[in-house]
Amino acid sequence: MAKLRIENLYKRYDLKGKKKKNAKLNDFAVNNLSLDCEEGEFVALLGPSGCGKTTTLRMIAGLEDITDGGIYIGDELVNNLHPKDRHIGLAFEDYALYPPLKVYENIAFNMRAKGAKNDEVHRRVMEIAPLLKVEDLLDKMPVKLSGGQKQRVNIARAIVRNPKLLLMDEPLSHLDGKMRQELRTEIKRLHNKIKCTSVYVTHDQLEAMSLADRIAIMDLGVLQQFGTPLEIYDDPVNEFVAAFIGEPPMNILKTTIAKIESEFYFTFEDSELRILVPNRYYDLLSDGMVVKMGVRPMDVIIGKEDSKGEPVKVAVFENLGDERRIGVHVGDKLFMLITSEEVRYKQGQSIKLEVRAEKTHLFDIETGLRIRN
Amino acid sequence: MSTSKKRLGSIVRHGLLGIWAIFALFPLIWMLIMTFKSEADVMTTTFIFTPTLDNYRQVLLQSDYLRFFTDSVITSVGAVLISVLLGVPAAYALARYKFKYKEGLAFQILSFRFAPELLVVLPLFMIYQRMGLHDTYLGLIWVYQLISMPLIIWVVRGYFEDISVEIEHAAQVDGYNWWQVFMKTLVPLIKPGLVSSALLAFIFVWNSFTFPLMLSGFNVSPVTVAAMRFLASHTVQYGQMAVAATISALPAVVFALLIQKHLVRGLSFGAVKG
Repeated sequence: MAKLRIENLYKRYDLKGKKKKNAKLNDFAVNNLSLDCEEGEFVALLGPSGCGKTTTLRMIAGLEDITDGGIYIGDELVNNLHPKDRHIGLAFEDYALYPPLKVYENIAFNMRAKGAKNDEVHRRVMEIAPLLKVEDLLDKMPVKLSGGQKQRVNIARAIVRNPKLLLMDEPLSHLDGKMRQELRTEIKRLHNKIKCTSVYVTHDQLEAMSLADRIAIMDLGVLQQFGTPLEIYDDPVNEFVAAFIGEPPMNILKTTIAKIESEFYFTFEDSELRILVPNRYYDLLSDGMVVKMGVRPMDVIIGKEDSKGEPVKVAVFENLGDERRIGVHVGDKLFMLITSEEVRYKQGQSIKLEVRAEKTHLFDIETGLRIRN
Repeated sequence: MSTSKKRLGSIVRHGLLGIWAIFALFPLIWMLIMTFKSEADVMTTTFIFTPTLDNYRQVLLQSDYLRFFTDSVITSVGAVLISVLLGVPAAYALARYKFKYKEGLAFQILSFRFAPELLVVLPLFMIYQRMGLHDTYLGLIWVYQLISMPLIIWVVRGYFEDISVEIEHAAQVDGYNWWQVFMKTLVPLIKPGLVSSALLAFIFVWNSFTFPLMLSGFNVSPVTVAAMRFLASHTVQYGQMAVAATISALPAVVFALLIQKHLVRGLSFGAVKG
């Protein structure tokens, strides 16, 4: 077990000829990434595909050259170490089990490659197998296993070597819904048991939120925010993070602030909807200012008859049993509201909306950065 | 379907297969019978004759046939070995790396198999004469690459493409250097394709006639060409020719029987991409 420190990491793929001349800053697959993972911490690298998260993981593993910057495992700079000398375990997206070897030999492979003695190998495999519930599979060939079983073996193979750092590259992305949930719980349980510093790459925010101690959200090679799941959920630094985290996603809409009778309202193009702006933003706003407002569907409240603001017609009403979802059109977008109250609406019925003051965020229209007070 | 209908279908099927088998195997059987016939019986179509081993004695003991056979073995084995040694890394590069004109190069290699041998053999003959490669082992092994290399490269490339890159990475993380990854994890995975394509290449090279006809002479002469010698003398020694042909067909037949199970699987597995 060890700390992981990433300092000003850059990755740029080789560009040739014409492309090289037109190279821009955003050609970096990873752009000035700095991260610190504490000992035993579970960190998720989260982002859409092409955001550089897998490239980062592969650089930590040593499968990809580093353009600039430093990666430290423990206190050791590992930039130029061969993958085998970095004391890492890597669980692959496609499982990458050796087809001609039985599960037992697959798990033992690493120790055999390092020349461990037979009884040592046996002891260790037998120790790890129950942890991942693969003890009944040891005699099988990888082709006979289901996706979930393969991934268990894959992870077993990664941890059998007692790695300083456990890296996982979208381990659940090829599994179906139920298996994915089950294995997610298993990974959590496993981490609590072995407490190995872990880096987990995923594009699934639910996985990141449920597994990680801290989440690093990346986009276009740039780290957007690094914090606990709750920080990221409640206090996103910019529009990208706000939109990426949460299911259903946050309502983020372009809005023009209108001052009416000394009160500020969010008004929207092509919509009658008008929502009262929470008091706490009054210092920052002026009449006619254009910003983006973001509020999660759970933080939108159905207004009362005498609430301030203008009503709008209900476009969608879904009763999901334990919650009800109401959608209204704002321009060509759908503004969602989720409530657990027992309410019933018909399409076309008028509804007034309010927002929870402390859960409503403003974003700069140009940069997408949070406007804070 | 009723049992009687099933039975009828089975009879028809086996009947047709039987006819095909007779059609395909009869020349071989005829040739085999000829080897045991004396000069007088050779042209008769009867199956009743006094078997004799004279032809075998003539060919194996009183002619240079065994030397030609050795020439065939040396050139064929040499050609396939070189094709494997150079073709496997080439196939790996074509499967894994991105480089300019990659597909063009791959197609170019394959296109060696398109050109009729007769078309290229004359210029090759001139070149070989000048370079001193004519009638040498090296010359034949070299020209055989046109036959064996494309086959091996294309089959093995398909195998490499089917292997997840992650397996290589896993092996690297597990402590293998690149060479060990290649030899210990990749080679076992491509083995079915490598073995079947190499054996098939061996058979093709062994049976090759046009190239050695022009490019070999008295020093080096594979059996396919040497068998012609029995025609060349003033009387045609059909019996001896049959012996020569039978023995030269043996390796191909034996190999084909040995690997037939793997041959189809080995050659089709890599080609079908999931």
